[in-house]
This record gives sequence, structure tokens and C-alpha cells, in this order.
Amino acid sequence: MRVIIECYGASARWCGSDLITLDLSVGATGNDALDALAALYPDFAARRDSVAIATGDAITSPTLPLDDGDVIALIPPVSAG
Amino acid sequence: MSAIKSLPRLRNGALNLADWLVEAQPADAGALAVFAGTVRNEHLGNAVSGMSYHAHRGLAEARLREIEAAAEARFKVHVLVAHAVGVLAIGEISVVVVIRGGHRAEAFEACRWTIDTIKQAVPIWKEEHYVDGAVRFLEGVPIQPVESL
Repeated sequence: MRVIIECYGASARWCGSDLITLDLSVGATGNDALDALAALYPDFAARRDSVAIATGDAITSPTLPLDDGDVIALIPPVSAG
Repeated sequence: MSAIKSLPRLRNGALNLADWLVEAQPADAGALAVFAGTVRNEHLGNAVSGMSYHAHRGLAEARLREIEAAAEARFKVHVLVAHAVGVLAIGEISVVVVIRGGHRAEAFEACRWTIDTIKQAVPIWKEEHYVDGAVRFLEGVPIQPVESL
């Protein structure tokens, strides 16, 4: 299945793009998507554990399974204010 | 609900503090506490020329409103917050917290909690522009749920 990754903040620099398409096995979870990104992008791998993921307008658990066509957002450490 | 309360809390460009102070003070309030964050010209010894604020707009808007509601419930005060996105110059206002409450103690406490929570729970990212032309995202902290703070 195919999912779309939106890279926010510094994660776009770590991955070299603000939009990435990943091909994953059926039943893959958010964690599987993060693992796949870590395998592709060393700068992301170094920071993987500090990154949350969001779907729609909410943070979501990385243990939940994804569906084909899902769009998930990478939320790196925040610095509002 | 006042007109200002219906506006998006995430705004394009620098904030004008006066815009966020137009609500009438409630008759039972004896305190008005205001915090405004501004762009500083130095960070860790590096000369800064400006700041870009990036956001996950939908989640940031939801989190700012969630923080308002949580602060109102926790401190029994009226709360209004706003945050800028886009490119800001030195001295411009990036974030505003307005607290109206019965007494100064809860107003100050609510103001401190609200800005501290915004910094940890809202998906906004500062990208500093340096005088030497370099650009860098600040390190930040892993995003936290509002209810944990």
C-alpha cells in the first residue's frame, strides 16, 4: 500500500523534501512508516524517537495500522513562542 | 462569544498587541495579565536578523484553542491566545497571551502556564535567519499533550 508523508519543520530538512510517498506492506503501522523513513534518511534516523505523527488535525499513536492512501504528518520537536 | 473569540488564533504575519486587547474587561475581573513574545536579535551568541514561524495549521489551531479552554478551567480566568506564522522581523510580536481574572495571583499563574504550555504542545517551529545568511530550525522539545502539562 502507499502512504503520503508530510514533513513539517526541520523534518523536511532531515528527509530532503516536505512530501514523501512510501510503499509499505498491508497492515503497516505508523512505526513501520517511521522505520522506513529512518532507513532512507540518516538525518531523520538520528532523530526518529523525538518525532510524533499526526493524521488530520490530531496526534495519533504510531502503533495504529495505516490504510492505503493515508496522509500522515511528521511532527518534530516543537519551538512555538 | 465576542467577535475576537471567533477569529483564528493562528495569524499570518506579526501580531498587533492592541488587536488582542479589545475585549471589555469582565465586571468581576480585577486583573489583566498580558504576555507578548517578540523576535530577539541574538541566540546563543549568533546575530539573528529575523525569524520564520512554520506550523501544522490545523493541529496548531486546535491546540491553541484547547490550551485556552484548559487554562480557563484550571485557573477560572478568561483566556485569549494568538500565534504568528510567516516571516517576522526583529522586535515583532510572535505570540500573545491575554488573561483576565479576579485577582493578580491567578492571572499571573494562568499567563505563565499558558505560554509554557504553548511552547510544549503546539506544532509550530521557529526557523532563525542569521545576519551571516545562514538559516536554522531551533531544536525544540517533543510535542506534549495539553492534558499532561
